[in-house]
Amino acid sequence: MENIPAVANSPPQVNNAEFVKITIYNEYGNTANTTVFTASSSYQDETFDSTTFLAAGGLLSVGGQQKDIRITSADTTVGLSGIPNTVISLVLDSKIRGSKLEIWRGFYNDNGILTSTAKRFTGIITSYNIEEDRQDLEDTFTVAVSASNYKTVLENRLASRRTNPESWQSFNPNDSSMTNIYSIATQTFDFGKKPKYVSGGSGGGGGTDSGGRPVLK
Amino acid sequence: MAGLQTIVDYCNGMTINRRKVVGIQITRNEIPRLSTTPTKNPWKFQLDMPSSFRYSDARQLMEALDTLDRTGYQDITFSNNACLNWIFRYQGSLSASQLAGIRVATPNGFVGTTLTLTNLPAVASSRVLFEANDLIQIGSHPYPFTSTTQVLRGTGSTVTVTTHRPNIISTSVDNSAITVGNACQFRLFCPNMPVYKLVPGGAKYAAGGTLINNALIEWSDAFELYEYVGTS
Repeated sequence: MENIPAVANSPPQVNNAEFVKITIYNEYGNTANTTVFTASSSYQDETFDSTTFLAAGGLLSVGGQQKDIRITSADTTVGLSGIPNTVISLVLDSKIRGSKLEIWRGFYNDNGILTSTAKRFTGIITSYNIEEDRQDLEDTFTVAVSASNYKTVLENRLASRRTNPESWQSFNPNDSSMTNIYSIATQTFDFGKKPKYVSGGSGGGGGTDSGGRPVLK
Repeated sequence: MAGLQTIVDYCNGMTINRRKVVGIQITRNEIPRLSTTPTKNPWKFQLDMPSSFRYSDARQLMEALDTLDRTGYQDITFSNNACLNWIFRYQGSLSASQLAGIRVATPNGFVGTTLTLTNLPAVASSRVLFEANDLIQIGSHPYPFTSTTQVLRGTGSTVTVTTHRPNIISTSVDNSAITVGNACQFRLFCPNMPVYKLVPGGAKYAAGGTLINNALIEWSDAFELYEYVGTS
């Protein structure tokens, strides 16, 4: 369990703000080529963990972050202002899905100075939603990005791989799992059938092959 | 007439709202638990306008307000109206020329809610520089801060002022001059910009006794002015 000094011993008052960082990986396989977007609910830009979190990022809301004793799957949502269009451009013109989302809570003293931070969530953005809410003369845009934690991502197994070498090697060129698949392409198997052994095999003792292994009938 | 400044000048009631974003919970055993978010804590004013403006006199005002709409902002002050400049009047004891020499200390003269001032005048240590609720504007940034306590000159080369909100100015303010009291400017916009209704009344008589058609302006709501901190 993470220890957060700012809230130790149940202080009657805490001053805190939320900090959000989205790391967009622009190029597959190149983790150095990234675009970083930050936002916070603080009154000023703050820098920690080698990142400057912009007060003008347009943070509207941060969803709940579930914590359990056991590692469980949990999602969260971050709401960002779509005014001006920079955030809408962020989700439409970049590889936002698959980006890394991190959320911190920062704690301030009574003089408005950031004293400590605690990381609350790390996950991968799985979807986004742009909502235009127009009622009479009110016209607002909200961009919500949803993120899943790593456990949920790991549970999303790769599907739709065919039983041929090309399909498997599209993920890993050295994968030899399906190399011999063509030799049994037309065979019919009785899966679950009880094995029967050939009596009087060709080599030494009935029912075994030349290496002494049982021979299936 | 010039938009929001006119509304400030002619309002017949003003509510000042500096409340912060907070979380308040009362526990089962009635112990309060509080949290605050360190926002820019903008000034909010609610101004009630009389329905006594003649249409013929208020056309420039209406055009200015329609041009501002709900998104445009204006810098307003409480010093340009002799009937109004008692609001936010400077309560300290320094003269205008003495105040003009004061500078924000260098480096890091304004961090969090701690404003450090230097280049102070040579006056008695017991002289009051600021009383609580005195407005202080940093340089030309129209985002006033208040002093939360009385500040005396003291004997040092600097004094420290605790402001009502942290430094929301994103650029360096070191060595900036200050403006105090009702000369400070507020950058405000009106998210609810009321509309106006023309009601019978306000007729005027031209020379010779000719009746001039006219109307009185009735506002749909109070003007809720909100500090525009988007450019701070």
